[in-house]
Amino acid sequence: MSLYFEHFAPAIIAAIAISALCSLLSVIVIAKRLAFIGQGVSHAALGGVGVAAIVGLAPQQHFLVVAPFCILTAIAIAWLSDRERFSADAVIGAALVGTMALGALLISIAARHGARRVPGWEELMFGSVLSVGPAEATLSWIVFVAILGALIVVRRPLLFWTFDEQGAEAFGSPTTGMRMITLIMLGLAIVIAMRLVGVVLATGLLVLPGAAALKLTTRLGASIVLSLVLGQLGLALGLWASFSLDLPPGACIALALLALFALSPFGARLTGAA
Amino acid sequence: MTETPAIAFESVTFRYPGAERPAIEDVTFEVAIGDRVGVIGPNGGGKSTLIKLALGLLEPQSGSIHVLGETPERARAQGLLAYVPQRFDAERALPVSVRQMIEMAAARNISWRRRTPAEIRMRVDEAIALVSAGAFADTPVGRLSGGQVQRALVARAVATQPKILALDEPTVGIDPDGQERLSEMTRRLHDDLGLTIITVTHDLRVVAASSDRIACLAGKLHFHDAPEGLTPQVLAEVFEHDVSGVFGDLHVDAHKASECGGHH
Repeated sequence: MSLYFEHFAPAIIAAIAISALCSLLSVIVIAKRLAFIGQGVSHAALGGVGVAAIVGLAPQQHFLVVAPFCILTAIAIAWLSDRERFSADAVIGAALVGTMALGALLISIAARHGARRVPGWEELMFGSVLSVGPAEATLSWIVFVAILGALIVVRRPLLFWTFDEQGAEAFGSPTTGMRMITLIMLGLAIVIAMRLVGVVLATGLLVLPGAAALKLTTRLGASIVLSLVLGQLGLALGLWASFSLDLPPGACIALALLALFALSPFGARLTGAA
Repeated sequence: MTETPAIAFESVTFRYPGAERPAIEDVTFEVAIGDRVGVIGPNGGGKSTLIKLALGLLEPQSGSIHVLGETPERARAQGLLAYVPQRFDAERALPVSVRQMIEMAAARNISWRRRTPAEIRMRVDEAIALVSAGAFADTPVGRLSGGQVQRALVARAVATQPKILALDEPTVGIDPDGQERLSEMTRRLHDDLGLTIITVTHDLRVVAASSDRIACLAGKLHFHDAPEGLTPQVLAEVFEHDVSGVFGDLHVDAHKASECGGHH
């Protein structure tokens, strides 16, 4: 087992940062009802992977294309639903289908033309955290620290926008800027979460810890700390199950988080938050 | 030299995109500094639109608006006008306490050099004391009653140390005790802090006793110098139905709507 852990140390180190990052954003995602937009943006990553594959980038360099692709998709969703008066659900649904179809086409074309290495569907959908190397682990921590820093700097206007967007606007607190910052953070988080749990399950990391934490407490600070703790707990349980039972880590982590979420209403009765 | 008015509307017309008729049409009026003005009118008469225009959240198709001599956008950026909304559409899933909610707005209006935790805390504490919200200051906003939410929102507005306070339908969904407390609170804010207060409501009783001037708004504006000038006829015209019920024990002198206050 210890050899196992030694070999996968970069993967575990990366997973801790990714889970912490997603758990932090999770409280905002739940409070601001951004789960579906997260789903749209995470699936947009497939379109980004398709573009990266066509350009001929190695999988380690996909981040350079996938991150801007996801962020631009998130901004396009926000812009279309704000300015063009489409319903947000319709825009997200369209983006989800459009970018996935684009990704499927481009990946298929790249494979046909002998691209260096096109990631397999299973890897894209469910992640491949155990193949993460030191460079990606470092990147995960850089993104986590950068987003943590940004969250600390903008905490008040971000909280104002998250809690009461109309009030924030009426009091001259920035709202468009906060929406953009949140979407950029979400896009970045999804791109690095993809390596851990894949496109399909990335939303789980962004939704489940915050949803469970908000069930368990009626204090804002406690909800953020709890979300972090639950995210790490889900990660530890998932990786433990994956190592012990030789099962795919992405699915194990997602199911562990789901179990914690499912238990949260019972926990809420114990803490008196229900 | 005349004093700059707190709020000045000059021939303002605003129509929502796709609407057949303007929400407010050719509205001209001034609110003097230190005045308490009540704006009454039927639902859909443009009352909330009037406040949103003063806040710079909407832009008129024609006419001009000034808040203490500034454009509404600049006035909002400077925190001159604070707003207590009619509907509080906050994300109640987020367990933000009253204190934290007030802090968000208070911090916004302190220059970054003075924005210390102690300064923010002082302003928040003062605002909480002003509206007597100490008992529920640490309670999540989502768990408060209608009256408590209203007081918390007034505290949030006051904590930004504005010159003008705009209240949009402040008594909707609040029991009579809460309404009385709110009325007493706004009177105190006016007397103690010298705030200019503009209250928008469909209920004359909310503003009759506590306003220096009353305006009736139903797309167009009828202005009165004092609540006593309002008549059942004027109100019937504004509300488009019998309004005897809204008068309570108010004394009114009967006159025709066409004689109503003079300026439109």
